[in-house]
Amino acid sequence: MEKLASFIIIIGTILWFVSVLFLGGSWQWQMFAALILTIGIFTAHFWEEFYEGKSKNTQDDDK
Amino acid sequence: MARERISQADEWQAWAKRYDIEGGIRTFESGLTGKVFFGALFVGLLMMPGSIYLSYVSGQSGAAAAPWVAVILFTELARRSFTTARRQELYMLLSLTGAAVGSGMQYRSFIWYAYFVNTPQAASYEIADKMPAWVVPHGESIGVLTRNLLHTDWLLPIGVFLLSKFLGTLRFVSGQYILFRLTADLERLPYPMAPITAQGATALAETTGKQETWRWQVFSIGSMAGLIWGFIYIGVPALSGVMMSQPIQILQIPWIDFTQSIEGFAPTGVFALRTDFGQMLFGFVLPFPVVMSEFATAVLSQFVLNPQILYRNEILHQWEPGLDVRATGLFNDLDFWRSYGIGKTFTLGLVGMAASIPMIFKLRSSKKKAGERGSLATPPNRGDFPLWLMGILWLIGMGGFVWLIHWMVPNFPLSFLLGFAFVYTPLNSYITARTYGVLGRDLFEIPYLHEITFILSRYEEIDIWFAPFPDEDYGAGTQGWRVLELTGTTFTSNLAATLLIMPILIVSGIVVQHFIWQIAPIPSAQYPFVQMMWPINATNECLMKTSLRDGNSEIIQAIRGDYVAAGFTSNLAIYGLLWVFKFPSMWFYGIVGGIGADPGSMIARLLGAIIGRFYMIKRFGLKRWFMFNPVLAAGFACGVGLIGMGTVAVALVSKAVIVKPF
Repeated sequence: MEKLASFIIIIGTILWFVSVLFLGGSWQWQMFAALILTIGIFTAHFWEEFYEGKSKNTQDDDK
Repeated sequence: MARERISQADEWQAWAKRYDIEGGIRTFESGLTGKVFFGALFVGLLMMPGSIYLSYVSGQSGAAAAPWVAVILFTELARRSFTTARRQELYMLLSLTGAAVGSGMQYRSFIWYAYFVNTPQAASYEIADKMPAWVVPHGESIGVLTRNLLHTDWLLPIGVFLLSKFLGTLRFVSGQYILFRLTADLERLPYPMAPITAQGATALAETTGKQETWRWQVFSIGSMAGLIWGFIYIGVPALSGVMMSQPIQILQIPWIDFTQSIEGFAPTGVFALRTDFGQMLFGFVLPFPVVMSEFATAVLSQFVLNPQILYRNEILHQWEPGLDVRATGLFNDLDFWRSYGIGKTFTLGLVGMAASIPMIFKLRSSKKKAGERGSLATPPNRGDFPLWLMGILWLIGMGGFVWLIHWMVPNFPLSFLLGFAFVYTPLNSYITARTYGVLGRDLFEIPYLHEITFILSRYEEIDIWFAPFPDEDYGAGTQGWRVLELTGTTFTSNLAATLLIMPILIVSGIVVQHFIWQIAPIPSAQYPFVQMMWPINATNECLMKTSLRDGNSEIIQAIRGDYVAAGFTSNLAIYGLLWVFKFPSMWFYGIVGGIGADPGSMIARLLGAIIGRFYMIKRFGLKRWFMFNPVLAAGFACGVGLIGMGTVAVALVSKAVIVKPF
């Protein structure tokens, strides 16, 4: 599920770049890319919320 | 080495703990006592007339420092009476005094429209005779001509105001509470700016006890720093302005503009160093990843994105060499960033929903206890309200408000009002609540929303410009509930205090405004600030209210769908990629805040964040530093506020004795 979410997000990002660089940046194509990204982000969060794995504290970031 | 994924749940939980001043363990007590109530009323009502008068004379009310003055007075009285003051009482005193001092200003619009209705501008733009009776009595009425706010002519405007106030209280209390439960209880967002107020009250409360702890010492250091900085930054210009035609500014206010210096290698880039180094204190408090990523993104925006991509591709096309930060910023805004910004802020709403909807799905199956992310369970004795009750109160408040507006402007399409009330307002408020929960400030604003709505509705009458609109934002208010929680003040006592003081303030505010209006016409030579500004404001108001008469607005045409889509999609991609590559989601909020912004405005915050992380944390340790810095910031705000109030008082005395040439 994690890999699926990552894959969808990467596809959405590539599509957005393509829509801006090669399809004239039309809002329709961009919003299509946004739809794919939205699906990917929701998948990611559902996976994260229902995944009961080990957790790690972020305090290390500031040490 | 591959990064290990830290779930957003753990990330937010860790930050929330860091900003929780007592590690989440606290007892809740009522802050409402007789001495607090009458103390706030006494100080507030004593200062309210001065605050209103000052705003007409000098344009500054000086109300910001009043609550701190009340609290310091209160603690000194407590010490001399050999009693103690609890932090719950002091926080209540802070909020009630603030409400009391500011209460007179809510009637300012009556005085303004009583002036506006008889201006030559309103007559020449054909507005004066079309102003609705629920805004102001007609220009020839006795209530306006004799400057009598207590005359029966004012019954309708004041009646409408009171009904709005009642319905507004229902909506704001319930709306803020529901969002607080969602963002603070369910999502455990850290609310980084809330501990500042909470720790200020705690520090001052300790001075009345038998033992003073580190808090009072740190608060005093902050206050002294605030007094010194306030004197340099506010005091010197204000005091020298009394005696000289050109005030002395030790540091140029508000910024030193380097935009023309960088245009050789970064055309269309802006860089203006903001000289308010008081912002360093906020850099101490805010999460380090947010401040760093915000600054890095702003640098990238102004030195790479603007000049190398947007300018070269003629997206930023209005800029010309030699423009300063204001003109460059305005043109960049109109050409691209305004549209991009709309899309960007919608991303905030969507990622917020993506994070919270799975949690709501999981609520039924989870057995989490209060204080854990993903739980709506409340801590014992906090004084919580049932969510269903708050939901019903909000529906009643909003339904009544929509009915009131529909009664005011019966021909305006009801569907627009319902859409704003029940779709836009909840969404807008939720987004703002989240940005306050992470960044401590608002990010979401759709420019010219009213104008766009009026064009789409094809409604052409002028009365809609005077009517209130149900596009509200309860997000900022959620921080206040978090402060209540951090100070251990029961929610019920806060609500009771608000409801008790409101009728008194409604009556006293209107009486004080009436008497100040009776002293002399507003504007007149007695009130130099409004005499200078209100004629200009009247022209601006006429221009704004008639801007859509020909059905055309250049500013609205500047909003482009493809740029809005770019803002929305690119930020979704940034959020998604940060997740894929296992970066903390804090970075996203920094990037969103920094994209398109001026890095010069963030230097002081950045310095504060760097000093905090690389010196203070090493010196004091992570936990102690996170306990110190909100107290320091509260003391600093108190010091700056006191200096501001003092200098305004000196300026007021000088205005009373020095005859101005105008």
